[in-house]
Amino acid sequence: MGGISFLSPLFLIGALAAAVPILLHLFHRKTEVVIDFPAVSLLKRAPVQQHRRRKLRELLLLALRVAALLLLALSFARPYLAGASAPSSQPLTVIAVDTSMSMTAPGQMDRAREAASRAASAAPGSHALALIGFGDAATVIVEPTTDRSAIAAAIAQLSAHATGTRFRTALARASELVGTREGHVVVVTDLQQSGWESNDDGGLPDGVGLDVISVPPPTGNLAITSAERRDRRIVASIQNYSEGEVRAPVRLIAGGREIAKVDVTMAARGAADAELIGSLPAGGDAEVRVDDAAGYQPDNVRKVILDPAPAVPIAVVVADPTGSTGGLYVERALKVAGNGREFDVDVRDGREVPRWTEAELSRIAAMFVLGTRTLDRNGRETVRNYLTRGGQVFLAMGPGVDPGTLGDVLGTNVVFEEAPVRTPGATMIASDGRHPIFRPFLNPSGALGDVQVEQHRRLKDQTDRTVLARFSGGDAALTEQAAGAGRLIVFTSDLDNEWSRFPLNAAFVPFAVETARYLTKAHRAPSAAATVDARESNPAATTVEEFTNAIERTTRAGLLEAKNAARDIEDRQRWWQIGLVIMLVALAGEALVGRRAT
Amino acid sequence: MAGQARYLDPAIIARLGTIDLKARAIVEGFLTGLHRSPYKGFSVEFAEYRQYLPGDDLATLDWKVFARSDKHFVKKYEEETNLTCHLLIDVSGSMGYGSGEITKLQYASYLTGALAYLMHRQRDSFGLIAFDDSISALLPASARSGHLRTLLLALERLEIGARTNVAKPLHDLAAAVRKRGMVVLVSDLLDEPANVLDGLKHFRYRGTDVIVFHILDPYELKFPFEQAARFRDMETAEEVMAVPDSIRQDYIDRIQERIAFYRRELGLAGIDYCQLDTSQPLELGLMSYLMTRKRVL
Repeated sequence: MGGISFLSPLFLIGALAAAVPILLHLFHRKTEVVIDFPAVSLLKRAPVQQHRRRKLRELLLLALRVAALLLLALSFARPYLAGASAPSSQPLTVIAVDTSMSMTAPGQMDRAREAASRAASAAPGSHALALIGFGDAATVIVEPTTDRSAIAAAIAQLSAHATGTRFRTALARASELVGTREGHVVVVTDLQQSGWESNDDGGLPDGVGLDVISVPPPTGNLAITSAERRDRRIVASIQNYSEGEVRAPVRLIAGGREIAKVDVTMAARGAADAELIGSLPAGGDAEVRVDDAAGYQPDNVRKVILDPAPAVPIAVVVADPTGSTGGLYVERALKVAGNGREFDVDVRDGREVPRWTEAELSRIAAMFVLGTRTLDRNGRETVRNYLTRGGQVFLAMGPGVDPGTLGDVLGTNVVFEEAPVRTPGATMIASDGRHPIFRPFLNPSGALGDVQVEQHRRLKDQTDRTVLARFSGGDAALTEQAAGAGRLIVFTSDLDNEWSRFPLNAAFVPFAVETARYLTKAHRAPSAAATVDARESNPAATTVEEFTNAIERTTRAGLLEAKNAARDIEDRQRWWQIGLVIMLVALAGEALVGRRAT
Repeated sequence: MAGQARYLDPAIIARLGTIDLKARAIVEGFLTGLHRSPYKGFSVEFAEYRQYLPGDDLATLDWKVFARSDKHFVKKYEEETNLTCHLLIDVSGSMGYGSGEITKLQYASYLTGALAYLMHRQRDSFGLIAFDDSISALLPASARSGHLRTLLLALERLEIGARTNVAKPLHDLAAAVRKRGMVVLVSDLLDEPANVLDGLKHFRYRGTDVIVFHILDPYELKFPFEQAARFRDMETAEEVMAVPDSIRQDYIDRIQERIAFYRRELGLAGIDYCQLDTSQPLELGLMSYLMTRKRVL
């Protein structure tokens, strides 16, 4: 459901002027001149204006005048149809529910859902509601809406996942939803300390109200923090997060049967290794389990890959496979990963893409599109089908990309300015620092900030797209969006060292590898390394007061991006012009009717 | 200018003192003007000689004729005229309208007073009937010397009445008048034209001569209003919201149509009709009267 938003909502105050003609109509009616006249009987039979007709005409005049004033105020407020389901001027209550792994202790999510439901019920009736679920990332589960049943239904469906906790990301997402309107944020969380440990940005704008509802964590937790194969043994480290000594059995399971079991005793807040010896299969994987009924469940299991994983096939589509512009940097970067065994990189000229068979396409875990100029119609259709059927595509919008046919390639519109923007010396800043792609840059060593970009393309359409990184000028550098059943990541500059020196930067290899890992996540065999962040297993929590004090209060200047996007939408729709035209028509009608009435 | 000197503006007449003075001013001014007009020969006129009969007043003997012819003759004068005139004045609510300095009723009063003064000078017998929907004042016809003053006083005391019903008083009066005479009706005739016509024809049926002075205000003729207004009937209080610009021509057509109706139908009935508006000189009314009187006698 689309909603009307306003670029300059303060002008709506001008709509109050519509009350003037109404008040005049009601309280300051012009006193009609009464003339005593002897020959009224002769007037009566003339086509005079009867009282009822005059009354109707007055009402019509009033309606036209009120409409003209309202349209004037509306036009100045610059209306546009946004994708939100509630008007962006309506006060909003955002309910952000922690769905990280630290909410997986028995009964925790039930309590979180109850608290969220209570918060939804307690929200003022004039407020729209939105629901966010957050862990590593914050996902808007229900966009701002006045449909409270939709919120209730979504709350009932909430569940925790094996992800970390990032409070700032959740707060940043909530702030984006609140925008410039009156807002209130309710955070339902276990107040886990580690949720504040990331160095990403995020806070709440001044004036936005905050309620924190605590869902207490378990008093203790056991977690398998590592598990690895050492010849014929599996060694697992078990961490005890409780305040007392704990003894628990640790099992090794492979092929559905228990191979080994040992009891491990761990001191208070201490760790111990469990050495599991048994008859391990030649390949596949095994699972290490620790019994911990009261703690978090996902960290009680750790998978161990018994044989090396096969290389993940990645296709790199380029406009010209020769020279340094042919995907050389991406290919070399990806071949570094896993000592050259993690990815199987296939660089293809766009002209060869149509030759891919369905079977070959289905094997490609991710596709890096660095150039589209040599893609013919069949090639564009092949890439589009791959993406929309669930493929993972990384698009670098460098000089090898043909803007005119990009829509055909992606099956979705990526609107950007035709001419590239020259920004000598622009650097890249992660907007979403804890996105898996930026995992290597969590503790900034300046690597990402050293990336120099000379030119990039400016995206004009921000809808349905998450900005993962920006250039120092504010333009989006890296975005992520769904495209059909697939996922599309757009880098707005190039990766062939033409518009950007990024490929020569130290950050390039980890960036390319992590991007490839992120995109091929579904194709990769689960490994021990793919389990949850070890910090998430620590149930240590802050108090509500500490939590509240940790929130950085920001000005609303950070909403510039949203405003620019809104301005772009409004600029395309130009409802204000239609409003002014209708207003002029109303005024012309008013003049016409008014002239006849006097 | 000669015209201005000859005709007195009704507004100027209105500023004179009593109605007696007004009537005199109107008539004297009018008669002065008639010296150069074709309407000569009235005043106390000689009528005929008649042989003296015993009992005749010796003062009426014409001694010069006796000296020439040795016969006794007495002189007869016009003062013995038998013209009885009934002045009917409409005092209904609509007669109270006046866009200028005088109302229609004032204008009608001056005209009636002037006519009475003229009749008095001609030794005619005259009476006054004021009416709205019924007769509100009645002064029987008489030629006595003090009768004029009584009539003028009655005129001065006239008050605006209720609704117009011209027909009823006309029928009542027509039934009451037994002697051939003359009826002068001064009214704005804002009644159903057919009823008015019936009432006046009743007089004609009984051999009475009738002259109708149709008094209208200039605004009633031109409808010069500009602003949209609620027009309230002076008799029924009925209100009509009107935009003058859009109905003016229609109204003028209707009022002119009514005037034309009266002129045509009354003419066919042998009734003299004179339409006056309150800005016109009163002499025009007197002139119409004299023409009618000349025809009657």
